[in-house]
Amino acid sequence: MNKIQQFIVNLYPTTKFLIVLFLALSAFITPGYIWSYLVLPICMFLAYLAGCFKEFSNLAIKALLLIVLFIFLLQAFFYPGQEILWQWGIFSVKQEGIQFALSLTSKIVAVASSLLLFFRITKVKDLVSSLEKLGLSPKVTFIFLSTLQIIPEMQKSTHVIMDAQKTRGVETEGKLMTRVKAFVPILSPLVLGSIASTEERVLTLESRAFSAKGNKTSLYQVNKTKHDLKVRILLLILFILLIVWRVLS
Amino acid sequence: MSIISIKNLTYQYPTSEEDVLRDISVEFESGKFYAVIGANGAGKTSLCNAIRGFIPHFYNGELQGDVLIEGRDIREWELGELSTKIGYVFQNPFTQISGVKDTVFDEISFGLENLGVEESEIRSRVADIIQLLEIGHLQEKNPFELSGGQKQRVALASIIVMEPEILVIDEPTSQLDPQSTEAIFSIIELMQKKGKTIILVEHKIELIAEYADYIIVMKDGKAVLQGNADDVLSNEQAIELGCALPQYALFGIEMKENGMDLGTIPLTEKKAISAVQHLLEKRRVTS
Ligand SMILES: Nc1ncnc2c1ncn2[C@@H]1O[C@H](COP(=O)(O)OP(=O)(O)OP(=O)(O)O)[C@@H](O)[C@H]1O
Ligand SMILES: [Mg+2]
Repeated sequence: MNKIQQFIVNLYPTTKFLIVLFLALSAFITPGYIWSYLVLPICMFLAYLAGCFKEFSNLAIKALLLIVLFIFLLQAFFYPGQEILWQWGIFSVKQEGIQFALSLTSKIVAVASSLLLFFRITKVKDLVSSLEKLGLSPKVTFIFLSTLQIIPEMQKSTHVIMDAQKTRGVETEGKLMTRVKAFVPILSPLVLGSIASTEERVLTLESRAFSAKGNKTSLYQVNKTKHDLKVRILLLILFILLIVWRVLS
Repeated sequence: MSIISIKNLTYQYPTSEEDVLRDISVEFESGKFYAVIGANGAGKTSLCNAIRGFIPHFYNGELQGDVLIEGRDIREWELGELSTKIGYVFQNPFTQISGVKDTVFDEISFGLENLGVEESEIRSRVADIIQLLEIGHLQEKNPFELSGGQKQRVALASIIVMEPEILVIDEPTSQLDPQSTEAIFSIIELMQKKGKTIILVEHKIELIAEYADYIIVMKDGKAVLQGNADDVLSNEQAIELGCALPQYALFGIEMKENGMDLGTIPLTEKKAISAVQHLLEKRRVTS
């Protein structure tokens, strides 16, 4: 890990959140759509600095492209307006629709890419620890953490059940319809299994004194460093400058 | 005074069709080693659940009779209070992972964190337990990625690190090889030496013969036979009740049936050898 990467990764979770919050807010404060769209490449650059360019870009582009395209088409055709740019039968693309689609999707891109960046550069463990310090109940953070841990477990059991089906001769691969047909019968063992293991999980927690009264200790702690303060001050200055510029112009 | 006292306990899960525990009465004395044996479905786990208070606090359903922990009715205890008094290691090692910790070390710390024990003390206690259970090589691993036997040892570690007075352990060696099984038994024995009361569900009768003070045989929800280990394991009636006896006891019973009474029914290898020597000497003298 190089220095810049370490610097970003080791920032305190709320500092990271302030960074992405600043980016997302700037999209709403700045007029027009160009800056808002630019938030995506900026996030990509930050991801690059943090050493997760590939993961971030893949996810962001895959997730955003579809949404943006869909909204674009929908708004371009159905937004009410007079200035018709292109017509085909009863369908027409209107200038106002394009305008609206641009401003809407640009905001979505800005907000979504900054949020995605936040979750890419913040370890869940760190986030949870900082939330607990802010006074969030351990019950809530537990739900948060265990859900994230259980998803891969459920994926694993899906594979196990699928394999069991295969050995019984059920077709699980091939056309979409075959896959869907194969997937439906595994739902009940999967869901029932998860419910059963939830029950046992409750007992497990109980036997580890999770419901004991009094304060809990946390072995894992995230701590603020002097860098956090610097970054926060910088963000505040930038934010004030942005507001001033917006008011004056 | 007994630390746990069960009187005429009868219980049925809300979803089961008949009583799974029927009229059970057992007294548990502090510092002793109790073994619960019986066929699958006999109600051993249900008895453990009743002792730990999961019956009736978690499973609901009606509990008849009394379960008293330190003289106080189980219905009056809160589950949270019991967690520091009674440690319960479940039968299924796969569901005993908290699911929020990504290393074995943190997993074992979880209980102590919940109790608010100070950080430096947690670290030293967990390190001690890890050494005791010889799982040092696992401590940085993700608990989800352990084998069944490894999970079972981590589960035991996670409970005994909390140092409860009573340990209820449900088949802790089902996933273990013979060597690890011996190791677990010696750890349980160590816990007993520290003054803890042990309630162990186990099928491995030879090991029970070696370690247990008192045995409870269960069948169809009833405690059909109970008593000091030596008495139960040399009781021919136990076989009729579906309980396997140690091979040395079977040998003794067989000898007796064939007119070569050893005088006692031996339970362990050592005792069998000395009993046979005794018999041979007696014969030499008489002939
Ligand atoms: N959660 C539950 N809900 C309803 N019935 C249950 C539940 N758990 C166990 N039973 C029933 O209670 C009876 C006793 O089960 P229990 O698990 O106590 O047996 P066991 O002696 O521990 O068996 P094993 O050796 O297989 O672990 C069984 O008939 C079982 O079907
Ligand atoms: Mg059982």
